[in-house]
Amino acid sequence: MLKVENISVRRGGATTLKDVSFSLAAERTLAVVGESGAGKSTLIGAILGLVRCASGRVSWNDEPVGKCRPALVMQEPRAAFNPRLSLCRSLMEPIMAQKLVMDASRLDRLCQSLEVHLDLLDRRPDQVSIGQAQRVGILRALIAAPPLVLFDEPLSALDAVTQKHTARLIADMQAQEGFAALIVTHDLGYAAAFADEIAVLRAGQIEEFAAAQAFVEEPQTDYGRTLRDAAFALGALERVA
Amino acid sequence: MTIAAHGLSAERSGRTLLHPTNVNLKPGERVGLVGASGSGKSTLGHVLVDTLRARGTSVAHVPQSPDEALDPLRSMAFHWREAEQALGLSPDDARRADLFNALQIADSDLRKRPWSWSRGMQQRFVIAMALIGTPDLLVMDEPTSALDPVVAAGTMGLLDAYLRDRQTALLLITHDLGLAARWVSRLMVMEASRIVEDAPTPRLLSTPETKAAKALCAHRNWLELPC
Repeated sequence: MLKVENISVRRGGATTLKDVSFSLAAERTLAVVGESGAGKSTLIGAILGLVRCASGRVSWNDEPVGKCRPALVMQEPRAAFNPRLSLCRSLMEPIMAQKLVMDASRLDRLCQSLEVHLDLLDRRPDQVSIGQAQRVGILRALIAAPPLVLFDEPLSALDAVTQKHTARLIADMQAQEGFAALIVTHDLGYAAAFADEIAVLRAGQIEEFAAAQAFVEEPQTDYGRTLRDAAFALGALERVA
Repeated sequence: MTIAAHGLSAERSGRTLLHPTNVNLKPGERVGLVGASGSGKSTLGHVLVDTLRARGTSVAHVPQSPDEALDPLRSMAFHWREAEQALGLSPDDARRADLFNALQIADSDLRKRPWSWSRGMQQRFVIAMALIGTPDLLVMDEPTSALDPVVAAGTMGLLDAYLRDRQTALLLITHDLGLAARWVSRLMVMEASRIVEDAPTPRLLSTPETKAAKALCAHRNWLELPC
């Protein structure tokens, strides 16, 4: 279980995360929603140890979170890869970094589940579509079987149809692999449809934390309502009789 | 003024970017142009804008990226002055303040160049420029793509109020059928550089006919909630 306990992050005199606490169990999905500058990416950095916390503690099963080798899926699929390497070489980096042995049948299975054709892996990131690059990004994140995967706006670079297809693939992979997923997104529709719980982050603090369905049906804070109503206005959520 | 452009097409290095296409909009009509990435939506937008402007029709265009609309070497104040002059309007601080307040960019420094502003603020500035005058047609290409949902919803609301008071027609270009369906009365679906379906919004949503429209309809919303 991921436990985030009272973490605060200060940057250049400003507090970008303030006293943030939550937990996330294996196989569960938490969506962190909020506007630009709310601290969503800082939270990911703090969990991964890329950003130093001024106070608080992040742990996985009561050990430092780095020990469980969490994986990250980034926002810009092509920019997430070394442009000079084939996707296959980039894909092998987690395996080499952790000195693991590549299990060919696992690679085959993951490729099949994520609809990644093997010949795609011989190409460089600029030779594949954004949707394909993101599926390979997810494949790279999962290849070393991490128990915790962080997704930083994994769908925002994709078009609407590809977004929904990729969201389904992520959920299917989670059912197969059993990882805990923390998804940072500005898209409340995605959060409501695929997460178990939603944390609303605003100005570095958790404004509301609730079960996903309960949140979209009846937000408990004014800001939560504003976010929910914006999702209605943009057609991400719809009321039907 | 009715917008009618026939036989729009585009080609580059022998490759067809847009098959011959007709676009018609009635005064004040709101039409959505939807389709997957790479289906040719923005190309059609550009060709339509260029063709109509060459004919003397007044068109405001919000391109997909603010980079296409803003000169990195010029200040934001320069861009604003230029837009007013292009429309033959004299500077009007109250008009500017109204638009900037509505789009939540009133506190920004106009002396700065575009790259000193965030991407979302640049996009809102370009939308504000498009709303200075009263064009016959407003072409907006993914106008909310760089905006946070709350600001994006506010921007669409502002646009709705603006269009309600005028005879300006709207062509809203987006990959997101859910967004378009919420704001337009007619939808045109693009696939492989041509319009493959054109129908009133309720009919297209209830009975899509082509593969492209069916895919868009199947992926329209993330979630439907009971009223």
